[in-house]
Amino acid sequence: MTQTKSRFYVDEAARGIRNPVLQKSLANLQQRFGRATAQSYLELPEGPELRFKAHDMRMAAVENLDILLETLAENVRKNGGRVHFAENAESARDYCLGVARRHKVRMAVKGKSMVSEEISLNDFLADHDIEAVETDLGEFIVQLADEHPSHIIAPAAHKTKEQIGKLFADKLGIDYIDDPPALTQAARKALRQKFLAADMGITGCNLACAETGHIAIVSNEGNIRMASTLPRVHVAIMGMERVTARLADYDVLFRLLARGAAAQKMPGYVSYVGGPRQPGQADGPDEFHLIILDNGRSRILGDPVFREILGCIRCGACLNVCPVYAKIGGHAYGFAYSGPVGAVVTPLLTGIERAKDLCLGETLCGACQDACPVNLDIPRMLLALRAVLAEGNPYWAVAPSDPLQKTMFKTWALSLTNRKRYNMLLKTAATGQKALPRSGGMMTKLPPPFSGWTQSRDLRPLARESFNRCWKRQQRNS
Amino acid sequence: MKQARFIQHIRSALGHPALIRRPAGTVISGDSHKTSRRLATHARSRGTGQLNALLQSVISNAEGINLKVIVRKNTRQAAATLAELAAAKETEWGEAKQVVAWDHPLIHELDLEAQLSDLDIPVIFTVPGDDPHGTNSADPKVRQAVANAYIGITSADYCLADTATLVMKARPGRPRSVSLVPVIHVAVIKLDQIISDLGELYALLGTDPREAPEGLTNCMTFITGPSKTADIEATMVHGAHGPREVHLMVITGEHDK
Repeated sequence: MTQTKSRFYVDEAARGIRNPVLQKSLANLQQRFGRATAQSYLELPEGPELRFKAHDMRMAAVENLDILLETLAENVRKNGGRVHFAENAESARDYCLGVARRHKVRMAVKGKSMVSEEISLNDFLADHDIEAVETDLGEFIVQLADEHPSHIIAPAAHKTKEQIGKLFADKLGIDYIDDPPALTQAARKALRQKFLAADMGITGCNLACAETGHIAIVSNEGNIRMASTLPRVHVAIMGMERVTARLADYDVLFRLLARGAAAQKMPGYVSYVGGPRQPGQADGPDEFHLIILDNGRSRILGDPVFREILGCIRCGACLNVCPVYAKIGGHAYGFAYSGPVGAVVTPLLTGIERAKDLCLGETLCGACQDACPVNLDIPRMLLALRAVLAEGNPYWAVAPSDPLQKTMFKTWALSLTNRKRYNMLLKTAATGQKALPRSGGMMTKLPPPFSGWTQSRDLRPLARESFNRCWKRQQRNS
Repeated sequence: MKQARFIQHIRSALGHPALIRRPAGTVISGDSHKTSRRLATHARSRGTGQLNALLQSVISNAEGINLKVIVRKNTRQAAATLAELAAAKETEWGEAKQVVAWDHPLIHELDLEAQLSDLDIPVIFTVPGDDPHGTNSADPKVRQAVANAYIGITSADYCLADTATLVMKARPGRPRSVSLVPVIHVAVIKLDQIISDLGELYALLGTDPREAPEGLTNCMTFITGPSKTADIEATMVHGAHGPREVHLMVITGEHDK
């Protein structure tokens, strides 16, 4: 079972909005990255239209996923790596534990990997007496604080340097400091020991290349290079959709990934890992394992309406422009994936009804699609999710929403299509509204079943006389 | 078998018969080899003037990422600069100064041992051992050397001008950790190792007679500037886990007048 807290979306969102630290840091993130990313697309030699080409590439890869994954696995094995196909989280965790047990692993260093959050790998390994140390600075902070990441690429965006200083003083046994370079140095020192002592490195995978049998892993800090170079064993976990056919596609997708994630022309470090250390080489892991995870993705693949979301390369660009994310923060989404992409992918992976508030909370403003390096039509999919919720859908095991609502909309449609009925409805409502409480000329509280509408806004009362009647009266009088 | 069932799920989800393996056709191979060969030939045949233009582009792109580019005419000058650098820089954890360097022809040409012996700084070369167990496990001597060194010296396969990116393939004698664990990384390359961009690199890897048989190796690394993070209040800090400083030394091969 995948752990998700998406059902608390409404309460958690309200909590995020009340948190001044979060508000400030999210505004700062969006100011910096949102605009810079848009600018970096304009500066592409091929122009911003490259995003459309990248979209086609991703969709072609998704349509040929069976061929790409078989080729990838074959090539990784040819290079001496091992491949495990995991149909669910449990299978991925068990395989990882099996490798760890075989190598008598006590401590593993981890590179940032959202898919390992998805399968709750850290808690699982801890339950089996294996310490999994997060090494991305943001992830390290979040792990020390026993929290979860709030942003795909800036996991500790919700914490101030003072909070981090206090946390480090508590947990690392150092004097209180709150200067970012000094804090970074403290983490560097603590983690260096871990890197040199770790038995196993665990990373995600940004994109795999079927043609050559390599996975590409990206970081700016160098922690992912450490985790994939120093320990005896390297285990990489990838969502099954993160594969591309050829090296030539990489050229386009990587340049876009770097721009989407942090408005960079090139990330600090990219490693193409295709197997374990070869004879004669002095470093690198003795074993390389690649876990390819389904965990609900083939279900998404089976519905052409939502298949497009599998093109996502998890750069986080949509988080940096989303007006809803900017206010509620990543924790509200209750799962590894937050922001607009989380609002689509979390319900699809964990159950549409369980996470239904996520797609209802977005504004459909379209900023996410404009920011997406592969131009995914996220607004279309948010609407499609709402349609599934309203109409019901056997494929997704969603029952139609409550019959009362449906009846009301039917009645509404009937009245709208007939002048007489509409006039009657207006008249009734105009009379009925007199009994309702008002403030400053606005109605503040509607009776059930309409009460939800006025929970967070006021409604203008109906005019004493409708335009239609007013017009008719004036025509008569003239 | 797990893989078969997994792939069958995907085939059915895509609307294909679950049990019939679909031919790869042009899905993997594509049809871009002609363009690739042209790009690769172009990358291999630049004259000094064009290479110098690429070098200028490396220098300007290095600025924004805090990569320091040093241009020297020959290995003798480069070695002297390296010795100055080694004298000026401090170790990170207060340990004695020690340098680790790749077993690589260009690095050997620098004659580092002679250059650094005046400074009493030992140089450890990562020469592959003749230890029969060397193939079964990583070399503990190399691990020790990179952990104790404050400067790691490597060469590179290529430098991409477009992003000031170093490209390195994993090979015996050229451990990955030399460019990663010491606090300062110095990469020494020749002018003609500079190519234009990723597109040229991928074209070379795919079609060049020297590159294609070797492929990407088990680990091809791109390094673009020093290690960095902005995870605390979005403040940029260099030296998160990898090197805090990266120096790229380009040897142009001009003769002294």
